[in-house]
Amino acid sequence: MQGERIVTQSQSTGRWPGAIIARETARHAVRPAAMWGTIFGFYVGLSAYGYASSYKTAAQRHFFAKTFGTDVGINAIIGPAHQIQTVAGFTAWRSLGVLSIVGAVWGLLAGTRLLRGEEEAGRWELLLAGQTTRRGAAVQALAGLAAGLLTLWVIMAIVVTGVGRLPEVHIAPSSALLLAAAAVSGTAMFLAVGALASQLAPTRRQAASYAGGALGLAYATRMVADSGAGLEWLRWTTPLGWVEELQPLTSPHPLMFLPIAGLVGAFSCIAVYLAGGRDLGASTIADRPRTKAHLRLLSGPAALTARLVRPVLSGWLVAIALTGLMMGLISKSAGRALSDSSSFGQMISMLGAHKGGASTYLGVAFLVAAVMMAFVAAGQIGTARGEEASGRLDHLLARPIARWRWLGGRLTIIVGALVIVGLTAGLSAWIGSALQGAGVSLASMLAAGLNLVPPAVFLLGIGTLVFGVKPRAVSAVVYGILAWSFLIEIVGGIIRANHWLLDTSVLHQMAAAPAVNPDWTANAILVTLGIASAFVGGFGFLHRDLVGD
Amino acid sequence: MGVPAIQSVGLSKRYGDFYALRGLDLEVARGEVVGFLGPNGAGKTTTIRLLLGLIHPSAGTAEIFGLDCHRKPVEVHRHLAYVPGEANLWPTLTGGETLHLLGQVQGSVDPIYRDELIQRFDLDASKRVRTYSKGNRQKLILIAALMTRPDLLLLDEPTSGLDPLMEQAFRHCIHEAGERGQTVFLSSHILSEVEALCDRVGILRDGILVDMGTLAELRHLSSLTVEATFDRSVPDLSRVPGVNSVEIEGRVVRCQVQGTVEPLLKVLAASGVHELLSHEPSLEELFLAHYGRTSGSDGSPPDAG
Repeated sequence: MQGERIVTQSQSTGRWPGAIIARETARHAVRPAAMWGTIFGFYVGLSAYGYASSYKTAAQRHFFAKTFGTDVGINAIIGPAHQIQTVAGFTAWRSLGVLSIVGAVWGLLAGTRLLRGEEEAGRWELLLAGQTTRRGAAVQALAGLAAGLLTLWVIMAIVVTGVGRLPEVHIAPSSALLLAAAAVSGTAMFLAVGALASQLAPTRRQAASYAGGALGLAYATRMVADSGAGLEWLRWTTPLGWVEELQPLTSPHPLMFLPIAGLVGAFSCIAVYLAGGRDLGASTIADRPRTKAHLRLLSGPAALTARLVRPVLSGWLVAIALTGLMMGLISKSAGRALSDSSSFGQMISMLGAHKGGASTYLGVAFLVAAVMMAFVAAGQIGTARGEEASGRLDHLLARPIARWRWLGGRLTIIVGALVIVGLTAGLSAWIGSALQGAGVSLASMLAAGLNLVPPAVFLLGIGTLVFGVKPRAVSAVVYGILAWSFLIEIVGGIIRANHWLLDTSVLHQMAAAPAVNPDWTANAILVTLGIASAFVGGFGFLHRDLVGD
Repeated sequence: MGVPAIQSVGLSKRYGDFYALRGLDLEVARGEVVGFLGPNGAGKTTTIRLLLGLIHPSAGTAEIFGLDCHRKPVEVHRHLAYVPGEANLWPTLTGGETLHLLGQVQGSVDPIYRDELIQRFDLDASKRVRTYSKGNRQKLILIAALMTRPDLLLLDEPTSGLDPLMEQAFRHCIHEAGERGQTVFLSSHILSEVEALCDRVGILRDGILVDMGTLAELRHLSSLTVEATFDRSVPDLSRVPGVNSVEIEGRVVRCQVQGTVEPLLKVLAASGVHELLSHEPSLEELFLAHYGRTSGSDGSPPDAG
């Protein structure tokens, strides 16, 4: 019997027992990669199908191209449009502009989680006691991540190829493979950035901050390059510019894969080299193990929450402020292009708008800020769950702290932060537009900033509800709702979807301020529903067991 | 007699069909140091988490100083401090900042005693928690619990990761706490620790409290080990009342005696016994006696503790 058990254990270690880190990393990377590959694939498919079915005639398509293809603001946000009077051109433009960013965010988070995160959790210590070295472990982890990347590409390519067979869409299989490769190349580069940041920083959070900063810089550079200010050459200095230059469905430039592959290879090699030159758990950039005690914001659970979320929220505040400023700066020229478009004017009229120009543009562009705000809310309720899952919450709730006090204090701080972030978005956009003399009032921009808060509060409330009744599902549910809402907003308008479908998007309940006046009644309903959900979730939290991972 | 420090009646916790704790009736007097023994998955952590109100009972009640743990957790927590076996803390805070935070949250700290504990446990409180070893993190939460001088210390395998010197420092602190009249409830599977520190011991098996008493009481109810060496052939002791587990090795015989030893002594005296040794069972023997009978029956979930 014992002999049988030994044989079974021996078999379970697999053919290459020294490759356990690669297998474990791949196990954690492949499943989300498959999910994202499916989402990416359907996103491309829906974009193509929606465009083809909504703009059936050549005249409609030319008008669409004239309206959107020359829009400086839209070009700055999602990249320049090439041949968007064709299904292929529109699909490549819309898909690459969005998916390269989403993929890059996923890539850097996965890279830092599966390298620095695993090391920080102490799991590598066990594995490094086996048949591998620190460099070998880093190589294995990168191989595991590569398996995830391959999965992302394969699944996306399969879905796009399938949708491409529809007569309205008609994307050739070879083009589908190229489009998938282009979309995934952003992910690949920022996986490598995440792997490198994992060697530089002592914690997963810091590594993600470094990699996020790199992405922010790359995106900002790309925005400036595409803003029509005569700085197109900047596109060559940013990885996101290289992805743009691939132009997979219109005029492919496969040579642009060279710098992409070069960056991935170079950063991976540097990451492996640095991994071998440091102690396990240490970082290349020296950590300050000792520091003077700072006792501010350590007076209780709410103060602790404020202290812990401060770095993340500050990062979001800067990102949203820069985004708002950029939108404001280009709002005048972008608004002028929109004012000349009769169909766009009709659309805005349908929304109840009585304004035009820069306000109209900002009303549309603030959807990006709304998504960022929703990300803040989703991330913060996920962090609350993380406190419970890690066991850190036990240290507070085993002391004279009521559960409602901990949760209520946390939610109050998050809502307060959302209001500040929203107002910052409005204020920074107003500053940008005022610098260009766009004629948008401060009051309307502050109202537009506040208008971003209710969807985020609603999402926070739903997240709290899930936290109270099914805590392990919090992240999946809130990010699922966010991804769905974003998908509906991007694709729904183009495919002229049924209003029932559009209403399933949290973001769709938000008026496009400042293009239209904020709908305070709808906002009040959203906030009320969010608060009610949070109360139900809070009640569930008071009456359930604390549960770990 | 005043209100007990801990009292539970029929306390149970069920996960689906699995009972992590079944019908626990427990009473711990004020000022007692009580050990709670059991292997992994016996229900020790579940008991402590129920007493803390971190999980809710499936049946039964638990009170600390007369306050319901489930209904009045905040009031209950004013009287106690808790040390978990796994010390997950906020990695960006330093040790000193963590102690400040936990002291603020508790509401009362003896700062002189805190500084003395930092010295005793030889902790560098200026380091960030993420740079601490497991042992240092454990020291930190021990100091955080002891510095508030609580009426009740709930300790769940508190010395995991501590070196022998720090283990000694811990024992010294618990002795002091006992002398000051603090109540200590110590869950452990380090038998020497429990034997050295505790007035009473409870033994938990598969979620059921199978034995509870002072060491003397537990020994009294258990078998006495007897070893006899004979000049001539060994007599048959298997038929002697109270004698069992007879082992013969040449002219030496070992056996266990339950209850009075008088019948055995009569037989030995008539059989030319040359040398006679006897000893009471150690806590380890008592523990193994309870578990040896059912080894391999543990099927509890990982969080059943």
